[in-house]
Amino acid sequence: MEVLSNVALGFGVVLTATNLLYCFIGCMVGTLIGVLPGIGPVATIAMLLPLTFKLPPESALIMLAGIYYGAQYGGSTTSILVNLPGEASSVVTALDGYKMAQNGQAGLALSVSALGSFFAGTVGTILIVLFAPALTEMAQKFGPAEYCALMSLGLVAAVVLASGSVIKAIAMVFLGLLIGLVGTDVNTGAQRFTFNIPELSDGIDFAPIAMGLFGIAEIIGNLEQRATGHSVTAAKISNLWPTWADFKTFWKPVLRGTALGSILGVLPGGGPTLGAFSAYTLEKKLSKTPERFGKGAIEGVAAPEAANNAAAQTSFIPMLTLGIPSNAVMALMVGAMIIQGIQPGPEVMTKKPDLFWGMIASMWVGNLMLVIINLPLIGMWVKLLTVPYRYLFPAILVFCCIGAYSLQNSDFHVQQVAVFGVLGYIFLKLGCEGAPFLLGLVLGPQMEEYFRRAMLLSRGDATVFFTRPLSASLFAVTALLLILMALPNLRKKREEAFQEEG
Amino acid sequence: MNRLNSKDLWAGLMFVAFGVGALWYGTTLSLGTAVRMGPGYVPRMLSFIMIGLGLIIAFRALVAGGEPIAKGQWKPITFVTIGVVVFAFLFERAGMVPATIALVFLSAFGGGEFKLGETIVSSLVLCVICVIIFKLGLSMNISVIRGVW
Repeated sequence: MEVLSNVALGFGVVLTATNLLYCFIGCMVGTLIGVLPGIGPVATIAMLLPLTFKLPPESALIMLAGIYYGAQYGGSTTSILVNLPGEASSVVTALDGYKMAQNGQAGLALSVSALGSFFAGTVGTILIVLFAPALTEMAQKFGPAEYCALMSLGLVAAVVLASGSVIKAIAMVFLGLLIGLVGTDVNTGAQRFTFNIPELSDGIDFAPIAMGLFGIAEIIGNLEQRATGHSVTAAKISNLWPTWADFKTFWKPVLRGTALGSILGVLPGGGPTLGAFSAYTLEKKLSKTPERFGKGAIEGVAAPEAANNAAAQTSFIPMLTLGIPSNAVMALMVGAMIIQGIQPGPEVMTKKPDLFWGMIASMWVGNLMLVIINLPLIGMWVKLLTVPYRYLFPAILVFCCIGAYSLQNSDFHVQQVAVFGVLGYIFLKLGCEGAPFLLGLVLGPQMEEYFRRAMLLSRGDATVFFTRPLSASLFAVTALLLILMALPNLRKKREEAFQEEG
Repeated sequence: MNRLNSKDLWAGLMFVAFGVGALWYGTTLSLGTAVRMGPGYVPRMLSFIMIGLGLIIAFRALVAGGEPIAKGQWKPITFVTIGVVVFAFLFERAGMVPATIALVFLSAFGGGEFKLGETIVSSLVLCVICVIIFKLGLSMNISVIRGVW
């Protein structure tokens, strides 16, 4: 069994003292920022990226992945206990989770959320193990035209599935692509948009950009709303373990949430938030007693919690197999791999099997750790919430700045954080989303490379994108998505769907 | 409904500005041919698309109006940005501790509820944490206070 030997290889990598430690650190940091509102996984991973330079690639990626799924756990804990979702993906959990806590069922809500998440995480990991090799094999048949088509599809789908104005998001993707081209042109050596700044000739670093857009701009936005400390009164936690009767009410929602989350996670632009919202809506529609939702329905906690964790796992699939990130966190993971000298794509699995399988195995180990360590630590996380924001944001600022400096030991990158903080603030004010921008930025250089190579191979004939069957069908799907979005009926439906979420 | 102050109008104009800027700075880059593209080919293509999209967004907002831009405050953006810039200036020249203290003080000013005692304490605590993590823990090659440590 090849699958088993792969998994065994993966566990061999994770179950070393160092990698277990980094997995643990990642999970703890992830839970921490999941608990704290005002800082998300994107800014955190960008901030910690420079610190992973000296680590071996496996340890670095294992830790960064832990931050991502750890944040899902942390976010749900505070949603349930104090009605403060630390992450967007746990906003729906707060609807019924907090009500359950008020009804004296805090322990049950927490354990359902933890067990559901763990189950979904396990399924997500298994799905990666099963499907990644097949996808990788398919990807190896791709030529430059197909890659170009696949990236367009990924970018467009990411835009369609995200909330907000589609045309603005597309413009943001193009802006990202454009800024991604800053630096030395690979083919000719010409300096592009470098303004004679030597630091820019190696290309623009996306970590300071992510810190600026998702860290600094966010802080400024929060300060404007005078986000102060919350007076938190946490619900008492009693009888943690669900009874058999409880179990019967939530196992189906967990299964459905896992399935839905797994599918939505793979789709570009999907990921945990979309998974959680859709799972909640689905449960409400299927329920015989939809009026219980919002008043402490156990299904309303179980399904979205399972879905967000499943989606967090499966969103690794396109990144690991095709090198194409489906959301902003995955874009940073791609960046982390490039920093370590690994070109993400189908070759990772064959050339770096220990990294590939080690990372996948670490996700299951990390999920297990999160269940075991988090339940006893809940009290501590809740206490952390009482720390006022005015202590918190200077710390985030300082960590961002030191992180940016240590990228290349140059204060140029810190200035870059400042510039993109201002730009991010402008984006925020104008209702332009940062995530499509970051995706475009990371994919820009690769996409240009593939585009130019495809055109060179076809001797300048642009129809190559439409005559090769695979590339043509990918572009057809992309076009279909765009046309669907332009239809007024569907546009209205989509707006309604996102309205419900908000 | 607001036609001249809508988010979309200004967002559209911003995209146009980026596109025009890229075209203008990119004039020196050679275009090449479709077979052998020069360094300027893709940037110019992207610039034109951005200008087009920006015009559509702005035009739609002008005709139909849109959500107005929420009023901002000048203090947070100004002080946080100055804080980061000052940090960048001081970090190598004066060391991590002065840079951190400057950033904490400046950003606390921007936060609105500035209390001197509290800010002193929190900046010192943060300095200690940073020294422990970055200097002692990760043994990064940075000076804590230039010329001293």
